[in-house]
Amino acid sequence: MKNRVGPPLVPVLLVAASVAAGQRPALTPRDSAFHALNRLAYGPRPGEVERVAREGVMSWIDQQLTPEHIADGARAAREREFPILDYERGDLAKLYLEAQRERRERREAGDTSSDTVGAQHAAPLQRDPTPTQRRARRLAGQFAELAVARAIISERQLYEVMVDFWTNHFNVFLGKGADRFLTPDYVEHVIRPHALDRFEDLLIATAESPAMLVYLDNWESVAPGSSPAFRLPRSALGLNENYARELLELHTLGVDGGYTQQDVINVARIFTGWSIERPQQGGGFEFHEWAHDEGEKQVLGVGFQAGQGLDEGIRLLKLLANQPATMHHVSRELCERFVSDDPPDGCVDDAVGAWKRSNGDLREVLRAIFTSPDFWAPPAVGGKVKTPLEFVVSAARAVGADPDSNPRLAQLVARLGEPLYLHVAPDGYPEKQDAWVNSGALLDRMNAAVALAAGKLPGVSVSLDAIAPPTADAELLIAAVNERVLGGTMSGNTAQVICKQLADMSDPGQARALAVGLALGGPEFQRQ
Amino acid sequence: MTISRRVFVKSGGLALFSLGLDPLFLARAAYAATNRLTAYPPNRPLLVCLFQRGAVDGLNMIVPHGDPLYYRERPRIAVPATDVIDLDGYFGLHPRLAALKPLWDSKSLAVIHAIGSPDASRSHFDAQDYMESGTPGVKATPDGWLNRYCQHDRQHADTPFRAVAFGPQLPRILAGSAPSLAIDDLQAFGLRAPQAAARDRLTRAFEELYAGSATGLLSSSSQEAFQAVRMLQQVDPAQYQPANGAAYPRGRFGKAMLEIAQLIRADLGVQVAFADVTGWDTHVNQGASEGQLATRLGEFAQALAAFAQDLGEKLRDVVVLTMSEFGRTVRENGNSGTDHGHATAMLVLGGPVDGGKVLGKWPGLDPAQRYEGRDVAVTTDFRDLFAEILARHLGAKELSAVFPGFIPDPTRFPGAIRG
Repeated sequence: MKNRVGPPLVPVLLVAASVAAGQRPALTPRDSAFHALNRLAYGPRPGEVERVAREGVMSWIDQQLTPEHIADGARAAREREFPILDYERGDLAKLYLEAQRERRERREAGDTSSDTVGAQHAAPLQRDPTPTQRRARRLAGQFAELAVARAIISERQLYEVMVDFWTNHFNVFLGKGADRFLTPDYVEHVIRPHALDRFEDLLIATAESPAMLVYLDNWESVAPGSSPAFRLPRSALGLNENYARELLELHTLGVDGGYTQQDVINVARIFTGWSIERPQQGGGFEFHEWAHDEGEKQVLGVGFQAGQGLDEGIRLLKLLANQPATMHHVSRELCERFVSDDPPDGCVDDAVGAWKRSNGDLREVLRAIFTSPDFWAPPAVGGKVKTPLEFVVSAARAVGADPDSNPRLAQLVARLGEPLYLHVAPDGYPEKQDAWVNSGALLDRMNAAVALAAGKLPGVSVSLDAIAPPTADAELLIAAVNERVLGGTMSGNTAQVICKQLADMSDPGQARALAVGLALGGPEFQRQ
Repeated sequence: MTISRRVFVKSGGLALFSLGLDPLFLARAAYAATNRLTAYPPNRPLLVCLFQRGAVDGLNMIVPHGDPLYYRERPRIAVPATDVIDLDGYFGLHPRLAALKPLWDSKSLAVIHAIGSPDASRSHFDAQDYMESGTPGVKATPDGWLNRYCQHDRQHADTPFRAVAFGPQLPRILAGSAPSLAIDDLQAFGLRAPQAAARDRLTRAFEELYAGSATGLLSSSSQEAFQAVRMLQQVDPAQYQPANGAAYPRGRFGKAMLEIAQLIRADLGVQVAFADVTGWDTHVNQGASEGQLATRLGEFAQALAAFAQDLGEKLRDVVVLTMSEFGRTVRENGNSGTDHGHATAMLVLGGPVDGGKVLGKWPGLDPAQRYEGRDVAVTTDFRDLFAEILARHLGAKELSAVFPGFIPDPTRFPGAIRG
């Protein structure tokens, strides 16, 4: 009962899911637009709430579900300023080899620091990186900034939100060995092409991706007793269950998805031989016949005949993608992201229903969530706290920021606790707020808000004119900030506090920056 | 429960829906409503965990100089017996750890040798991950064991400085739902502004914003934050002078130890603190009495000794635990270094320590006793030591919740803490 919508609302929504938002008793068209922009997008830019409200929120949602029809020239133009996108996997593999060679030379000269992996330290601890390491680090910083810049600039907002969602669901860690060089390829060629595709295709693409094969060690999983054509380090000879376990527990069925330890072992056997080319050859996916377990297997009671090679892995992934447990597990995660940290069963069931009807077409699953009464119900509206990425991107959008390839905003996301591509464990960053709302990070948000509004972040130009012209009229200024930054959610207390702070400020430009900074760092803006 | 009800009433109407009845929120709300500047007992036990990232060579840190095999396997990098600072006739300190000898003599320093993970991984990444999650072999554990301890022992959750990590981000070991702070620079903690007056004004403004309109976790976390800022302001970190003539070495690690000491001496309610110390991955030209490893050990020991000296009397309540993801090969490699091995040595230091002893079962260096013929075998699961310190020093009750899948058994505790 706690999260269900009251009876008067439900019939209205069920009858007219795509009716103009104004007919909903609970939310005005502006409120609906603000809510949708907070969840399907990274928050509104100045004026966007009005635009979406005018267009009709359901029509805007329909557009967002077909991003290929949304012109996105600004994003495409900005991407050209990021040289990382000119690197193919092969180029990055060469860089990897070069870095390894330099590291060997360093070792011979007696430097111990270059090999030290601080598991959670993106920030390398070493004092004196080699030239290639420095170059790789610059590219990694640029790549993280690219994610932030796209999220800020792109008109295809829901698509960018889904890219982030899947990058997190199918997490890899950029700090683990070759993943330092494979992660860009992973995001560009695995996650992005499939972010609004069928779940099955996305799952298969991640399973075959070099980045995932390295991250969860499957590249070195070989059938016991098999003999390679060349010498391998001894430790590499054996079955490795890491990928198999996380595939079942995190990627598909979920921890209570009804599989056994024997299933995990058999899944691992099925994926023996799924490996990667050596970096010299480009580091792409490669199936090693010699390493594959040719025996019969059974997973979830389904038999896999002997001798099916690579094909049985594909068959298994299709089987897993279409299990009811998978539909439920992934739908629930989507609802946690879009509806509530603790989503009601109703929207999850709606998503599962659409999944079944559409064979896992992610657009239809999402459409079902956005037309579910739970999505529009009072507990959902403003009921979530923004994650570090959501906070930074929404703040940047609110002040009309235009980031360049300087990694400043990505560093800010890291400082707030969730550095991009650097979550160590395969579960990805948690969606629930209690895992990451804490006092230190909150102070950092306030500092970031003030700096951003004052235009003090290098590489990030802001234009507060879109919010309000510089004015000596505090009341006018506060009203504009409420409308254009906070979507009309500013509390009386916040208005009073800002007003008091403006009282003795003589410079209208500074007053405006302070008002915006306080609003962005204040409690209303942390919610969505 | 009356406290949380008050918070609920205050936050009112719709907020109730979105809050839910999350136990963590209740705990934080209860804390926020009752916080006082000194709500914690004066002699509360403290734990400082230090991670030697990169896998320290336990055999050159705590040298088995009584074993001829050690010298046979390491012709170029063994520490000569004449340089070793003898501890018990068989083991001795690397000469650059000399600053720790007085602590050994006063029985405030114990060594656990041949300790490590039951998991065989020789990957820095995996082994660090397991040592911090406290679940060797299980990758999906979302939180760290130090955080889980804080979750299960809520009695002490009464100050924002209860769990503090020094560094730019919260480490894996403290990841999780219990509030913990990552502090990169104590002096820069809080709102930043060029002048003190502007900073204070900004701090007050945000404090008013959050006091008036925040709900749920945002409310309790912001109260913790502003309380922390106020507490630090009283301490004035910029003016800190180490006591008793303690001299910390320059560099990141010395600074972290100084700031930990500062927080402890200021009585801000620290219960667990964490810091990293790096540079132990000595594959090439490791050196013996002198050289790379010697330099790292020198800085490490100086910082620990300065910390002990700085705390003085207060060391009575403090235990410092050092850890490293694995040890290194017994035999030196072709580059006068050592490769990734298995067991290593950990140090436990402080007033409550039953020191002056090398603890743990020593497996010996004979190839037949080694792990896979090459590494020091693990005879003590790291969780036995960690669990002992949590139970006997911090008084933890729910060890199986802190180390899921592990059955803590006091008979296997190495005996690092005085009974």
